[in-house]
Amino acid sequence: MRIYILKRLLLIIPTLLGAATLVFLIMRVIPGDVALLILGGDQGQIDQKQLVAMRQQLGLDQPLYVQFGTWLWGVVRFDFGTSLWTGQPVVQELLIRLPLSLELALLASMVSVVIAIPLGMLAAVRQDSWVDYLVRVISIGGLAIPGFWVGILCILFLVIVFGWGPPLEFTPPWINPWANFQMMVWPVLTVGYRYAAVTTRMTRSTMLDVLREDYIRTAWAKGLHERAVVVRHALKNSMLPVITLVGTEFAFLIGGLVVTETVFTLNGVGRFVVDAVAHRDYPVVQALIFLTAFSFVIVNLLVDLTYAWFDPRIRYH
Amino acid sequence: MATSETTLVHGGATAALAPRLTTVRAVIKFIRTKPLGAAGAAIILGMMIVAASSGTLAPYDPYQADYAAQFARPNLDHWFGTDEFGRDLMSRIMYGARIALFVGFTASFVGCTLGGLLGVISAYCGGKVDLLLERLMDILLAFPQLILALAIASILGPAVQNVVIAISIPIIPRAARIVRAAALSVKENIYVEAVQALGAAQRRVVLRHIVPNVVAPYIIIVTAQLGGAILAEAALSYLGLGAAEPTPSWGLMLSGSALSYAEKAPWIAIFPGIAISLGVFGFNLFGDSLRDALDPKLRRKG
Amino acid sequence: MTGPSSRIPSSVVLLALVAGSLILAMVSPAPAAETPRRGGVLLAVIGADAPTLDPHQEGTFATLQVVAPLYSTLLQIDPYNYPKIIGDVATDWKISADGLTYTFKIRSDVRFHDGSPLTAADVKTSYDKIVAPPAGVRSMRKNAYTMVASVEAPDATTVVFKLKHPSASLLDNLASPWNVIYPKKYLDRDPNYFLKNVMGSGPFKFKAYTRGSTFEAERNPDYFVKDRPHLNGYKFYVSPETSVRAAAIRSGRAYIEFRDLPLSEVEAIKRALGDRVTVQHTPLIGQWGIAIQNTIKPFTDVRVRRALTLGIDRYTASRVLFPLTGLRHVGALMRPGTEWAVPPAELEKLPGFGRDAERNRAEAKKLLAEAGYPNGFKVVLKNRNVKLPYQDFAVYVIQEWRKIGVEAENRPLETAALLADVRDHGNFELSVSATVEYLDDPDVFLRRYTTGDPTNVGRYSDTILDDLFARQTRALDPVERRKLIVELQKRVLEQAYYMPGLWWTRNVVHWTKVKNYVAPPSHYTNQKLQDVWLAED
Repeated sequence: MRIYILKRLLLIIPTLLGAATLVFLIMRVIPGDVALLILGGDQGQIDQKQLVAMRQQLGLDQPLYVQFGTWLWGVVRFDFGTSLWTGQPVVQELLIRLPLSLELALLASMVSVVIAIPLGMLAAVRQDSWVDYLVRVISIGGLAIPGFWVGILCILFLVIVFGWGPPLEFTPPWINPWANFQMMVWPVLTVGYRYAAVTTRMTRSTMLDVLREDYIRTAWAKGLHERAVVVRHALKNSMLPVITLVGTEFAFLIGGLVVTETVFTLNGVGRFVVDAVAHRDYPVVQALIFLTAFSFVIVNLLVDLTYAWFDPRIRYH
Repeated sequence: MATSETTLVHGGATAALAPRLTTVRAVIKFIRTKPLGAAGAAIILGMMIVAASSGTLAPYDPYQADYAAQFARPNLDHWFGTDEFGRDLMSRIMYGARIALFVGFTASFVGCTLGGLLGVISAYCGGKVDLLLERLMDILLAFPQLILALAIASILGPAVQNVVIAISIPIIPRAARIVRAAALSVKENIYVEAVQALGAAQRRVVLRHIVPNVVAPYIIIVTAQLGGAILAEAALSYLGLGAAEPTPSWGLMLSGSALSYAEKAPWIAIFPGIAISLGVFGFNLFGDSLRDALDPKLRRKG
Repeated sequence: MTGPSSRIPSSVVLLALVAGSLILAMVSPAPAAETPRRGGVLLAVIGADAPTLDPHQEGTFATLQVVAPLYSTLLQIDPYNYPKIIGDVATDWKISADGLTYTFKIRSDVRFHDGSPLTAADVKTSYDKIVAPPAGVRSMRKNAYTMVASVEAPDATTVVFKLKHPSASLLDNLASPWNVIYPKKYLDRDPNYFLKNVMGSGPFKFKAYTRGSTFEAERNPDYFVKDRPHLNGYKFYVSPETSVRAAAIRSGRAYIEFRDLPLSEVEAIKRALGDRVTVQHTPLIGQWGIAIQNTIKPFTDVRVRRALTLGIDRYTASRVLFPLTGLRHVGALMRPGTEWAVPPAELEKLPGFGRDAERNRAEAKKLLAEAGYPNGFKVVLKNRNVKLPYQDFAVYVIQEWRKIGVEAENRPLETAALLADVRDHGNFELSVSATVEYLDDPDVFLRRYTTGDPTNVGRYSDTILDDLFARQTRALDPVERRKLIVELQKRVLEQAYYMPGLWWTRNVVHWTKVKNYVAPPSHYTNQKLQDVWLAED
């Protein structure tokens, strides 16, 4: 097992390095001079000398390979430089916004799992019945509705019908749970329903796989009550693939964050990416995209390791 | 990896046990056994007809502003109402179908074809080539689809063709992975080794045996990615990275002003959203059922 | 009136009546003058996050609105009497006869929030930073002070500006809300200190700042104006989505938005809240137009340029775009209604400003045919990727040009890319172009029509314009100056070097309980909030 862990860890290093390189290249190809943007403000007057000085200050006059080296070295130490737009360290800016996005992602996953697993199980157990069709239609439909549209309709509904607006400031749940709830409930539902749709379908198909396994049939043959069969055997064994699924669909969640945070105007990491792209704030965009890839890779790794822990066959692949 | 389909070694041909169906009979069987998929196909067909004939079907020019009729409620003149410039919403939605379908199909086809090619090359060549390509695909796969598309779209600037490129790139590694797996399974098939032992040319081995077997997974992933591509286009347009005004893109119609004018003219925010949802719903339904029909492993599960 | 027992003289009755009504008047609430209530925290929403906290180095309202109440300036624009200039820390000033020396006297009782006194030395150092910034420090408004030779502080309460040539605009520029006064000792240590830090002398003290989220301040108990500010403090919430800001006001989570809300949102809020909300509709010192790259074909031909401007029906634009964007007033290059504006009668004679749209279009087509484009042509219109009012303005203009055969493609770019293309490299054909300022200052608005100016994106060179501009900037006689300015505008419009579109207006929405806030014609001024009070929390 230890060898397997080591092997996997070694494997992700080139992947991460490659991701860091790709991110750097992407950002350097973007047209538009951030120095010009900073000096331009809303509409200002540009002084050529100030422009040159600004570029120097931002390190943009260095040759590309030097900038790349600085970037890579920083990545290794988790130092992503300073934001070109605000002058604050990127990590600091990130840490301010991270709690909100983390809470959103966690709650959305929890909500979706709570909805999806029972639904998926139900559909699998009652395969091809009207319940199954209904669940399938709902989950496919849920996936089809654009997240940002749901968010928009949500806000509209609340404002027009109830004259209610969400709190404008993020308070962590341990300080003021009610204010936190009021702010987060709608975005959580907006992100969560799509995640739930995907998870429902996967739960259903995994359950179907498991239900056909021989030992289940044996349990049936033995005359065990349906609920006992389902809960004790099928559920336990379909959890592993579902966990896998939750891990791999994590990327899905991150995409949802970006759009939802924009719609609900939450001060989270997702919106930060969109803003930073608009400002040509290279360090921030590079850092965020790389970190997204990084967390995705780590989550996948954890999922694989969990899988390998439970299923020894995998380790010797 | 064994397939659950019994193969007959028969002088170079691989035949499934199930009887061959003519296209028409296959379609009828599909409709009967997979009503959901048929419904999805009907939606898609409807969308395609509307998009193709929007020139004749649409009552107005989608760019034509009518300053006397700004924010008109849905009425006999304007079935879906008008927007802030007095442009007919129904015509805009019809023309918007063109953009949605164009982006969806192109991005999905381009991404899956490029990915599929890479997958086949990777599986067939094996060795160092395979390793290198796999690494590259892994790197691309490390990025969530929307994030990568966002970064690329922001480089290229707001335009429909740029959105297509931005969306197709994240699809490449995902298609490559699936096609590679399918191609590998064929390669490992003992039968192929036997044929090679008999001395058949390498190229013929590939073309005759690997490619046909990856067609099914290829079709599956193309249809699976279609709905997502349309959604991605809508999301990017909403964020301001996709089509630009005054193009009638559904996502663009929902951005910014739809919320501001929502109390005055809720139809501006409602109809484009319904259009997107319906389109993606149709593609997903169809894609799901198609996968069930084509993928033998899942055949029994329905 | 008189009975047998009471014999009250009528004079006493009269006195009693008068005394009684006096007492009554004192006891009952006076309907006219309300007494400001002390207390409460003003909650505001703002549409963008401040990139840095130093107004010298920024040009965005996102910085200015949050830090303006924390600082003082030398001069300011009278909040109740635009565009009159009054002092902030300056008490009075004298201009020498030759117009080359301006002497200001400043108050002696102004203190920074750390207790140290504000002296002329602080004013001098702050202005040195603006006029001649050291390396690594940017000054957004440097070019407005090219006439300043030096700034002196001969004693603690006197500041002297020495000029290279007389300037009609110096006082206006000194009243800029961006020119806040910093303590010298911090600037000497690090001129970029105030990018991230605050140390001012204004009615409020800095309290807390969470990037992208909130900005808070509290009352300065030692403010040099007695009994001010009325508020205990203020708090800005950052919220980039317009509808969310409108929802915040509507639900009472915020009381005021200082910049602008679209008319549809304003109407919805008014319908929902009625009298509990007040809307102030003001003109804004901002203009949207189309810049033309004059050095490339076909725009080198004045006929083509004239055709394009003739093709835009500005009066219908005003009607159509006003409810959507606030763009409203038709005018030339200086704001209509000000002393520098071209009078409407003369304006209507200029190409593109005539009232008969059909005739204008016919003439445009004729000009295009003459210039060799009988069937029009295709062109790319670059634009800023911001919905209001840039995109809506473009949609309208594109629609108009279709009528004369010109097919324009709208190409929105991110602000950085747009600035690079349009300003830096001249890489454009047509571009939506906006100018928004805090004051109707001819120098600021008209400098872009002179040869070689960095904001002359159209890259044209006309010696007549250069001459007119140079003369007006030195003209101390307002009548003479006005003549020159009107002539300059006419020349630009006749040659169609640049196509002005419409002038901006805005709606400032706030809860009626926010008292004594008068919205000026600029979202940059009157942001000190020292006279604002809340009728209830």
